[in-house]
Formats: sequence, C-alpha cells, structure tokens
Amino acid sequence: MEIKIMKNILDRNQNKANEVRNLLTLKKVLMVNIISSPGAGKTTLLERTCEALGAKFRIGVIEGDITTDRDAQRLKKYNIPIVVINTEGGCHLDSHSISKVLDNFDLDNLDVLFVENVGNLICPSQFDLGETFKLAVVSTTEGDDKPGKYPMLFREAVAVLLNKIDLIPYTNFIFDSFRSDLNKINSQIPLFEVSCTRGDGLPEWYQWIGEMINISR
Amino acid sequence: MHELRIAEDLSAIVLDTALRNNLSKVTKVNISFGQLIQIVPAIFEFAFRETVRNSVAGSAELDIEIVPVKMKCMNCGSDFQVNENLFACNICSSTDLGIIQGKELFIKSIEGE
Ligand SMILES: Nc1nc2c(ncn2[C@@H]2O[C@H](COP(=O)(O)OP(=O)(O)OP(=O)(O)O)[C@@H](O)[C@H]2O)c(=O)[nH]1
Ligand SMILES: [Mg+2]
Ligand SMILES: [Zn+2]
Repeated sequence: MEIKIMKNILDRNQNKANEVRNLLTLKKVLMVNIISSPGAGKTTLLERTCEALGAKFRIGVIEGDITTDRDAQRLKKYNIPIVVINTEGGCHLDSHSISKVLDNFDLDNLDVLFVENVGNLICPSQFDLGETFKLAVVSTTEGDDKPGKYPMLFREAVAVLLNKIDLIPYTNFIFDSFRSDLNKINSQIPLFEVSCTRGDGLPEWYQWIGEMINISR
Repeated sequence: MHELRIAEDLSAIVLDTALRNNLSKVTKVNISFGQLIQIVPAIFEFAFRETVRNSVAGSAELDIEIVPVKMKCMNCGSDFQVNENLFACNICSSTDLGIIQGKELFIKSIEGE
C-alpha cells in the first residue's frame, strides 16, 4: 500500500518561521540572519555596527553559538539586549529556538534584530528563521571560490559582505574571480567590500542597513 | 550535519503516517531533494537509518530523487535548467528569474503493509 504525503519535510520549521515573520512585521522589527563560515567576521561586524548605529537605531542581537557565550560577551559593552542560543553541537539555528527567545526582547522598542547564525555555509541557509532577509558574510582568507561552492546561500541572501579585504595582499584571493562567480549566481545582489578591523567600506554598509531598517519601520 | 536534523523531521513524518494508517511495516520512503540543498545522499541515508532504528520503518528502503534546478525567466517567459551555477536566461540573458524547482526537501509517499 502506498500512502501519498506530498509535503515539505521541514514543514514544522517553516510554519514556525512564518509565525515569527508575521510577529516581527507587526512589530516593525527588521531581522537579519547573518550566515558565514566560522571566523569570517560576523561578531566583528556586529561590534562595528553597534558602534556606528547604536545611537541611531535600537539594536538587539541573538547569538547562535555551539556551546559558549563568548561572542555575546564581546557585545555586552554596547548595552543592547542580547540573547544567546546554544545549539549544543547543532550546526544551525531553527525557527523554534528563535521563537522561544523573542519573549526576551521588548519588540515594541526595537528597530533591528541581528541574528548571528552558527558558522557554516550550508546548513543555516536551509532553515528559515522568520528573518526579513539573509546576509552572507565571506572573508578573503577563505578563498575566492565560495559563491560557486555554496550557490544556495548566494541565491537566498539579499546582500553579500566580503570582509578582510585588508588581507588580500597576503592571500591568493582574486577579486575578479570572486565577482564573476557571484555574478553567475546572483548578478543583482549588492556586494559590500569591507575590512571590519581597518574600517574600509563600512560607511556604505551602515548607509545601506540604515535604509533597510528605515523601510521596515 | 544538517542531514541529521532533516532525517529526524523526516522520520517523525514517516512514523506518524504509519501509525495513523495502521502500518505494521514501512517498506519504502519516497523523497525528493533539490540540487541546491546540497544533501549528500549517503550521509542522509546513514542519518535516516539511525533515526528509524527499532521502529516500524527500521528496514525501509529510502528512494531519493535529486531534482535539478529550473528557473523561469521573468523577461521572456522561457523555462530553463541551471547548469554550472549560471543563473541567467539561456534565451535573453536576463537575470530576473523565478525558481521553478531545485530547493525541494520533500516527502512524496511511503509504502508499507
Ligand atoms: N585582518 C582582519 N581580521 C579581521 C577582520 N574582521 C575580523 N577579523 C578577525 O577575524 C577573527 C574572527 O572574527 P569574528 O568576528 O570572531 O568572526 P565570526 O564570524 O564571528 O566567528 P565565529 O562566531 O567563531 O564563527 C578575529 O580575530 C577578528 O579580529 C578584518 O576585516 N580584517
Ligand atoms: Mg562570532
Ligand atoms: Zn529570458
């Protein structure tokens, strides 16, 4: 006997993500799901962004961390609401864990919620968290071949931030191959070329994310 | 790694469906995965085995269909299959596209008795 089912295996995650998205839309909170390899610079980007935009926008952060709260500790000094989700070894966040911690935020007094996903380029792109959009962060030290190897992320993301451009002289990263790889997959996607430690390119990022926050308010 | 979580969600659906249909044995599980999902079938199969061990689906065969990526061009309306990650219309070169298939994580049916 064959029993037809015809449904999305991740239905449970998707339904919860839709709930989260509806709630955040109602509360006019922009949620950015930041996805990168380990060490690409997600936390450093959040540090710089809090410094530059903390006075202008009400920022909150969800830190997805496998076992520690080190990234959250680094952000404490900005006096923003931060919640850590330990995935206990899991390689990605899911919508149920996001939904649970949203109670810890005063959503009526928040403009933007950054979610630092667990460092990984494949798994997190398949689990909708209910975010407004995904941001892909890649760094020059990982090589210039990432878009072609992880097309799903670069299709799903709404912007790409290429970090550590200060290190290009010390790597075999070729910007033109990166750009043409990315163009094949998603030619319309905005690309920010930055150094989160030296500051290059960050004003353009602040400008853009500020506009995104304003649109959702 | 995400194979494990997806396998867990899959086996929950399989076991729930088996229970509701009074199956004493699930012989086959038919699923389809889009190419963009980048699931490694061998790892997935292994993860699935772990999650259904000692259940009515313990010996079920897993049939995984890999679905190629197909897009629709919003400019000229043609459909095309994406090869070598080139997301541009093969007729008019437009990059204004909608996805038709390739992101599936889909359970089609189960078979059993
Ligand atoms: N040279 C250089 N180093 C950077 C830059 N941005 C970040 N780093 C360094 O890269 C290392 C990793 O940065 P993090 O911000 O912790 O990276 P992450 O993506 O949050 O890492 P995980 O949370 O562990 O995945 C740190 O030592 C940073 O100081 C940059 O633009 N240039
Ligand atoms: Mg970090
Ligand atoms: Zn066309």
